[in-house]
Amino acid sequence: MIATQHVTMQLAAGGQTVTILDDVTIDIPEKQTVAIIGPSGSGKSTLLGLIAGLDRPTSGTIWLNGVEITALGEQAMARLRLANVGYIFQSFHLIPTLTALENVSIPLELAGDSQAPKRAEELLHAVGLGHRMSHYPVQLSGGEQQRVAVARAFACRPPILLADEPTGNLDSSTGQQVIELIMALHRDAGTTLVLVTHDQHLAASMERVITLRDGRVASDQLASRHPRMPDQEL
Amino acid sequence: MIPFWLIMAWRELRSAWRHFLYFLGCIALGVGAVVGVSLFSSNVERAVLKEARGLLGGDLEIRLSRPVGAAGSAVLQGLTERGILRTRVSELVAMVARVDRAHGAADVTQLVELKAIESGYPLYGIVRVEPDLPLMELLRQAGDSCREACHGAVVQESFLIRLGLVVGDAIKIGQASFRITGVIHTEPDRMANMFSLGPRVLISQDGLVAADLVKPGSRLRERHLLKLPAAMALSPLLRELQGRLSAESARLSSYRDAQPQLKQFLDQLARYLGLVGLTALFVGGIGVALSIQAFVREKLQSIAILKTLGADTKTIIYSYLGQAVGLGVLGSAVGIGIGLLLQAVLPQAVSTLLATDVLQQVEFTAVLSWTALAPLSKGLGLGVLTTLLFSLWPLLTIRTIKPAVIFRREVEGAIRPGVRPEASVWRRAIRVVTADPVRAVTAAGIGLGLAGLSVWQAGSLTIGGLFIGGLLVAVVALTVTAKALLLGIRALPSPRALSLRQALGNIQRPGGQTLGVMVSIGVGVMVILAIALLEQALVRQVGENRPNDSPTFFFVDIQPDQAEGFSALIHRRTGDVAPDLTPLVRSRLHAINGQAVTVERESEQEDQPSQSKEEKRKNWYVNREYVLTFLDQLPKDNRIVKGVWWKQGQVFPRAQVSIEEEAAKSLGIDVGSSLDLNIQGTIMRAEVSSIRKVEWGNFSTNFYMIFSPGALDGAPMTYVATVRVSPQDEVALQSAVVAAFPNVTAINIGEVLSSFARVLDRLSLAIRAVALFCLLAGALVMAAALAATRYRRLYEAVILKALGATRALIARSFAAEYAVLGCVAGVIGVFLASLFSWAILRYILELPWSLEPSLLGIGLGCTVLLTLVVGFLSTYRLLGQPPLTVLRHE
Repeated sequence: MIATQHVTMQLAAGGQTVTILDDVTIDIPEKQTVAIIGPSGSGKSTLLGLIAGLDRPTSGTIWLNGVEITALGEQAMARLRLANVGYIFQSFHLIPTLTALENVSIPLELAGDSQAPKRAEELLHAVGLGHRMSHYPVQLSGGEQQRVAVARAFACRPPILLADEPTGNLDSSTGQQVIELIMALHRDAGTTLVLVTHDQHLAASMERVITLRDGRVASDQLASRHPRMPDQEL
Repeated sequence: MIPFWLIMAWRELRSAWRHFLYFLGCIALGVGAVVGVSLFSSNVERAVLKEARGLLGGDLEIRLSRPVGAAGSAVLQGLTERGILRTRVSELVAMVARVDRAHGAADVTQLVELKAIESGYPLYGIVRVEPDLPLMELLRQAGDSCREACHGAVVQESFLIRLGLVVGDAIKIGQASFRITGVIHTEPDRMANMFSLGPRVLISQDGLVAADLVKPGSRLRERHLLKLPAAMALSPLLRELQGRLSAESARLSSYRDAQPQLKQFLDQLARYLGLVGLTALFVGGIGVALSIQAFVREKLQSIAILKTLGADTKTIIYSYLGQAVGLGVLGSAVGIGIGLLLQAVLPQAVSTLLATDVLQQVEFTAVLSWTALAPLSKGLGLGVLTTLLFSLWPLLTIRTIKPAVIFRREVEGAIRPGVRPEASVWRRAIRVVTADPVRAVTAAGIGLGLAGLSVWQAGSLTIGGLFIGGLLVAVVALTVTAKALLLGIRALPSPRALSLRQALGNIQRPGGQTLGVMVSIGVGVMVILAIALLEQALVRQVGENRPNDSPTFFFVDIQPDQAEGFSALIHRRTGDVAPDLTPLVRSRLHAINGQAVTVERESEQEDQPSQSKEEKRKNWYVNREYVLTFLDQLPKDNRIVKGVWWKQGQVFPRAQVSIEEEAAKSLGIDVGSSLDLNIQGTIMRAEVSSIRKVEWGNFSTNFYMIFSPGALDGAPMTYVATVRVSPQDEVALQSAVVAAFPNVTAINIGEVLSSFARVLDRLSLAIRAVALFCLLAGALVMAAALAATRYRRLYEAVILKALGATRALIARSFAAEYAVLGCVAGVIGVFLASLFSWAILRYILELPWSLEPSLLGIGLGCTVLLTLVVGFLSTYRLLGQPPLTVLRHE
């Protein structure tokens, strides 16, 4: 479902080149849940962003759902993202000028779904925000905002869901609710889920944990309590 | 289905309408300034031109030396059908006889300048008569009540004095009798003429027919005055009529040519107003640009989110371009409303500020006519084009930007994708163009549109071009300075005071608006201050030319034996020193360097289309009558350009003559040439010893040829005296002179001069009023635009506050930041303004330039003050709110 091969990412900063990702090769099968962990600055978020096609690696290739996205243009990438990827940010990134309902509607509208408002309503009900649909992001609490973001990410039923520290800005109980929500949606839709987190406990609840250190894959383990093995050899 | 971008635009507008309103206001103010200034200046121009038209009595004058023929008559008839108003004025010299009150017989006669008019006269300006009744009323046939005196006549005071008449008496002109029905004080179109042959008598055209004075061969001056509909252009009609009336030997002139001096001023006024309009356009453009830029910056976050969600570029560009353009169009529409309001309200404000009722005097009317459409469409064009330029450029950038870049970096960096800052400007420019030709072409197209708008607004390619050139120079200079400032701050040690440290930090913060603010302030200061500098130069120029110490009277035809007595009389009456008596000898040119000049035609028929301009000019100089004089001293306003003026008491074997520059050029005369002049049949030879430049517009006696003292001894001469007297003594002096010297004619040029001076006064007040208007509007726009850039900084201010900074500290730090920017940009702007005004004065207005340290100082002070106040006010109020409210809303 998701594959990276020899992905390297370098950024120029202050006249120096900083290597953020160094020869990362991973393969994530369909429907797997993966946690990417590692200390700050280890390149977790960058890797997730590259997988979503939000940026382009310095070298290496990335496949999403069988498409080599590193070969795609910006336009094609946007369309691929719309159809295949849901993305949840640590800082929610809702559009401040739109209501909760409208924020969720956007991907559906972009996809040309004529039932967009109705579907968005259902999604908001599903995340327990049926009563706050016409509220603006600033009128919602952090947990509510993130639930809107989750609804938005799932709106187009993407086969891949990427979450960048989805609970990072939330207290533990709110965070727990959001995670439960994500997991429930994952179970219902059979989505491949990759999330970046600092939370060991959350990581442990995933089928697979990839640890990055200094831009390299330090370890890649299947959680023992999850019996299901991936199809491929590691 | 409603397109996504429209839905998006609607949602954004609905939720953030207050914010939208703010941007809308800034754009509206920019456009409003353009519309307001354009409308105001076009109204001012119209008012001043109206005054100037009064000096000719029409827009256009067709002058003939005989009644117009059948063909010409048809041409003139045709004009009426085109909506052109026309009135005929006939002028001739005639004898008027006093009709004895008792017997009704004619006795004493007097030579007068007779002027016959018809209804419609004057087309411009005012004829002041006493009693204050409509002119045609006074001139009409008196009906049954009159047996002998059938038509009315209005005469000059001096006529009454000479013939000992009073209003109500009868006079005889030609075959008809007239009754004096009033006294004429001023006629707008009576030009100062050195050789007025008598007092004015005004009658109707019907009266002239009754008098039966016009016979074939009569010396007559027929003037057809035309008033064009507002929409009609003058020059094409002038050319057309020149062609069609060539068979009539008609001479055409427009009101602009009526007074050469005035023509220059009017041209300068037109150019100046063009410049003022351009300034408003630039300042307004800056206002719109800054506002739109701030708007787009604000939306970048939303754009990045949309991109992450998978929105394609087209959708994003449509959404936000739609919003920006909607904002621009709506803002422009509101701006047009503001402009209309400004031009209705500000004239009063300007009048109050200048403590003058000039606008009322010039019959200023804040009316809207079809001519207002041009300023309105310019305003709209400016708003939309500027909006497009400043929104499309960053939005088109977004196409190639990866969302991560927008999130990760500051906005500033995101706007210049894929271009390494180390690269040279050219390399970078080339890379931007090659990387994205669509964007480059679009921007170039919009830029050209704005340039076209500038040229349109300036009304001239040269002025528009100069302005755009000036803008480019200014932008480059300011950019370089801004970069230097950033480097300088980095090199400086960090200051102690926290507020100052914070301020300097803000200036060099990546993604800051230092460059934009500096360029805006600098360009704004440059154009606005340049207008102030031009205003000074123009007003000074007008002031220098205003006839202040010009004479009130010319007394002409003083005989040599009367000179002494005349001087004594004037001295007695006015207590002044003896009047300035200038000897005059009439002559014609006979030969140059021994070669007899050929007199081809009578002077009235010089306008033959087959002749070249030079030939015409030469003929005019050959054929005209020269009034000679001899003088010890070079007259004031005369300057020797070649040869030398004679020394006092110098004796020459041959008569020496000094020639006016243009005449010398046209006649091919140089220093050393010999001239033969025919003085009433006697040929006199003189040697050209110098060539002079003459300031013709100075309202004193000017001469083409001045002889050395003694050279004209024995020639039949008369004297002309110039006398200055206060208005209330005019009539008494005139009566005394006429009583003592009946042959001497008094010409009151005070009236003409005062109307000319009035035009100049209004001209200079108009120039000042427009400058003031432009300054006020400019300051307002700059303030709003600066405030728009502040909005974004609120967040960081609140964080500082949350961290424990006092409101005063934060406000001080913002004020310090803006004071530094204002100071640096102001200094550059002041320097550029001097440079710019020099270029305009030198190449466009053709006026001398001078350094104005005080004005520049004031300009700089005001700039710093304005930026400081804006920086302070735009944050201080908002800082009063609790940090949490703002933080939540960010």
